[in-house]
Amino acid sequence: MRIAVAGKGGVGKTTIAGTLARALGRRGNDVLAFDADVNPMLGISLGVGAERTEQLVAVRQALDEGEVEHQPTVQGMEETFGTAGPDGVWLLVCSRIDRTDPG
Amino acid sequence: MHVAIVGKGGAGKSVIAGTLARLLARRGDPVLALDSDTLPGLELSLGARPPATPPLMAAAERGEDGRWRLKKGIGPVRAVQRFATDAPDGVRLLQSGKVDSVEGTKPIMPSLQAFYLVIHRLPRSPALRRWSVVGDLPAGPRQAAYDWAPYAETYVLVVEPTMQSLLAARRIARIVSQRGQATVTPVANKVRRRADVTRIQDFLGVCAAAVVPADPAVATAEREGVALLDVDPEGRVVAALEGLLATLGGSTLTP
Repeated sequence: MRIAVAGKGGVGKTTIAGTLARALGRRGNDVLAFDADVNPMLGISLGVGAERTEQLVAVRQALDEGEVEHQPTVQGMEETFGTAGPDGVWLLVCSRIDRTDPG
Repeated sequence: MHVAIVGKGGAGKSVIAGTLARLLARRGDPVLALDSDTLPGLELSLGARPPATPPLMAAAERGEDGRWRLKKGIGPVRAVQRFATDAPDGVRLLQSGKVDSVEGTKPIMPSLQAFYLVIHRLPRSPALRRWSVVGDLPAGPRQAAYDWAPYAETYVLVVEPTMQSLLAARRIARIVSQRGQATVTPVANKVRRRADVTRIQDFLGVCAAAVVPADPAVATAEREGVALLDVDPEGRVVAALEGLLATLGGSTLTP
């Protein structure tokens, strides 16, 4: 099953995405939860917590600074930019806007 | 008064933007409401009718160098005259095009480019400096980061008491502060108890300029797609936003 959750701001995309991911995980599936929002919050809905979500983003930002190696494989990306969440869900964070310059 | 309304999705930006614009207009200010969201929103909160065709499509063209520019004879004043639509209480509403295609923003690119060019010339337009401007930005930090509100002296940061809204608000506040030209004024929205306000203020490290209560009248207006001022003009939310206007500093910038 591969699902993208879309909708207008504030309708509850992140809550539904996080809950769906965990429900799938509880059924015994391998689940990859992918946060493609420039303001990533999926970790909070999954129950990974605000602090761990911020840390993940920091890893992603470090890529731009050249402090972390680019990962040529999907598995490498999952390991470097992801973290284990509850119910066996693996969370992957894509990007975040933090600065005024486009990047 | 020149403000941009920012915050996380669902925090209540459009309701606050639409109500502020109409309250300013009722005070007698000429008001320009700016909607740079590519999804519909502000027109409903203003109680305006959406334009029949995407506005500003004919205002910009691509030069031989590939760069977008406003067509000859179209400056910000002309663009507002020609492409803004009328909203209640005399507010003029200028919108960017809305996405309505599998091709995303591609079909409305002339409108988006024209909108961006117009708002960047607003601050240097003497005629429009007398106007009050209320800009409603799309959810999240993107447009704040890419300078979609160069006219704003104040960013009204709408925050509701949820962790997601708080985290998003803090990011947006940091981004706006980096530019350093505008002040950030938090507004606590959908407040149910005193602790909500404390939580928001502690998290952001600043006082809220207004505390707007959670009110079923807003939910009703949102459900029906009408302006709050048209369903609950004497209500608590409108009163709180009148207070916000007073805090933001009253009158239009007249030369």
